[in-house]
Amino acid sequence: MMNQLLTGPHKPPIDLKGSLVFSEAVASGCRYVRIKTDLTIPASSPGQFFLLRESRVSDPLLGRPFASINASRNSVDFLFRVVGRGTEILASLPPGTRVDLRGPCGNGFPVPRSRRLILVAGTLGIAPFFDAALRYGSTQEIITILGVPGHEWREFAGWCKERIPDIRIVSDDGKIGNSGTAVEEAVSMFRSEDEVWACGPIPMLKNIGILHSAGCERLFVSIEKRMACGMGGCLGCSLQTCSGTVRACVEGPVLEWKEVLWNE
Amino acid sequence: MSDFGGLQIDVGGVVLDSPVIIASGVWPMDPSMWPEASLKGIGAICSKGTTLEPREGNRGKRICETHCGLLNSIGLQNGGSVSFVQNDLPALASSGKPVIANIAFETLEELRQIIERLNSERDLIGALEMNVSCPNVSMGGMSWGVDMDSLERAVTEARCKWRGPLWVKLSPQAPSIAVAARICEASGAQAIVVGNTWLGMAIDNDREEPFFERIFAGLSGPAIFPLSLRLIWEAVASVNIPVVGCGGICGPDEALSMFLAGASAVAVGTGLFLDSSLPVSICFKLSRHMENRAIANIKDLVGRGRHFRGETGVAG
Repeated sequence: MMNQLLTGPHKPPIDLKGSLVFSEAVASGCRYVRIKTDLTIPASSPGQFFLLRESRVSDPLLGRPFASINASRNSVDFLFRVVGRGTEILASLPPGTRVDLRGPCGNGFPVPRSRRLILVAGTLGIAPFFDAALRYGSTQEIITILGVPGHEWREFAGWCKERIPDIRIVSDDGKIGNSGTAVEEAVSMFRSEDEVWACGPIPMLKNIGILHSAGCERLFVSIEKRMACGMGGCLGCSLQTCSGTVRACVEGPVLEWKEVLWNE
Repeated sequence: MSDFGGLQIDVGGVVLDSPVIIASGVWPMDPSMWPEASLKGIGAICSKGTTLEPREGNRGKRICETHCGLLNSIGLQNGGSVSFVQNDLPALASSGKPVIANIAFETLEELRQIIERLNSERDLIGALEMNVSCPNVSMGGMSWGVDMDSLERAVTEARCKWRGPLWVKLSPQAPSIAVAARICEASGAQAIVVGNTWLGMAIDNDREEPFFERIFAGLSGPAIFPLSLRLIWEAVASVNIPVVGCGGICGPDEALSMFLAGASAVAVGTGLFLDSSLPVSICFKLSRHMENRAIANIKDLVGRGRHFRGETGVAG
């Protein structure tokens, strides 16, 4: 059966205008920002994303895709890392700056069906899980795992722990939390009836397939791709799946692990 | 019925309620993904480039942002002409807007076969737009648009087989846009679209290799607007058929400049990535400009920027 995430129905994003309310450094080159919009933001699900850009500016030209960490009727929060010129400029904008938002884009994580939900994040991959933990915390048993490279991520990890107090933190060098990777931590506690969502770098997402082999029926990943339009027009974010070529901005970014052709 | 008085115009056999066209390759083919209310101000919708058989498109990275621009290497990913006729065309036509069917081909035989398929659905197609300008494929595409003999053969063949209005989307890489435009006109095209993306490239400095697998890619966005405007100016001076201005329009002012340079309509692409209401903003701008100058019809705006220092306006 074709994965329902792929077949839709899909909703188009809308274009919104708003203002930057605050922009805080979170350490490790990360930024926490809030946008207040002029009009109502359509309801979104964890894993959906918005394209954010400074209004009336041609350079950088394109909006940057960020998963919302929290969204209400007129405001949306993002957590992002400065990885290039575009995010560096976004991180430097002062409060009050006018911005354009396009969203919510793509498919988020589906409503969980299992009693226990394991959220597996690699560094900034934690972004959609703040919303998920909040939304499903009263109906599901949620285990959130954050993997970071090492001690230089201590402040970032602390920031996440303030918002998700029972978060399990692991680091490659063992300086924060247990030693190991987020995938190893997930494997250590996985039970076959669990549902698992993962967000992070591609190698991590590929590795988490070990849970699929271990019998995880509902294993979903959020895949990051370069993109331009965010509405399925340009095909700049195409990726290969068992069901054919799909658009990360429409049928994705959340896909079933088993659908993705990982070696393409 | 046009939303904007005075903006209706006949472009190469297609009556547009607004002179703003969605360029090929930027708009979802599934209407369910069209933003609500975003059809306001749109005069026609160009389909994604359709080839005879389905194409997977290019491998590797497809998008690279540049200063004020965007390089793309999509490579004409599409479902092929059979799927287009069965699925995309009826969906696009359901918008009530004229559909401009953009086609790409490697050989004249392919061109004939695509047209044969499209002729069966002639009623759903406003105009056929020959893509002789895609820079992201190794066969066909731009190679037709930079060799004038090939261009003449292809347009002549299409004119012979296609039963409706024929447009040609020219390449900025043509050695002379004026010569290419004249060849299209003489071979039976009823309008030309000038132009497509500009051939560029990027290098991944960390990897010390070209960013794209195909090395070169097509540049769009505000960075190319002045280059495109110059092409419009030259093309308009060389032909009597309408010229559709395309390339780098990301705001209403740029669209207005295109009309003043002699474009009869404009096509927008990358600008929609920033603002899906760009078409309606352009219409408001044109209406306001015309009202301020007591211009009743968009036709009288076309080429007004050419009336200076003794220039006589649009060719002919």
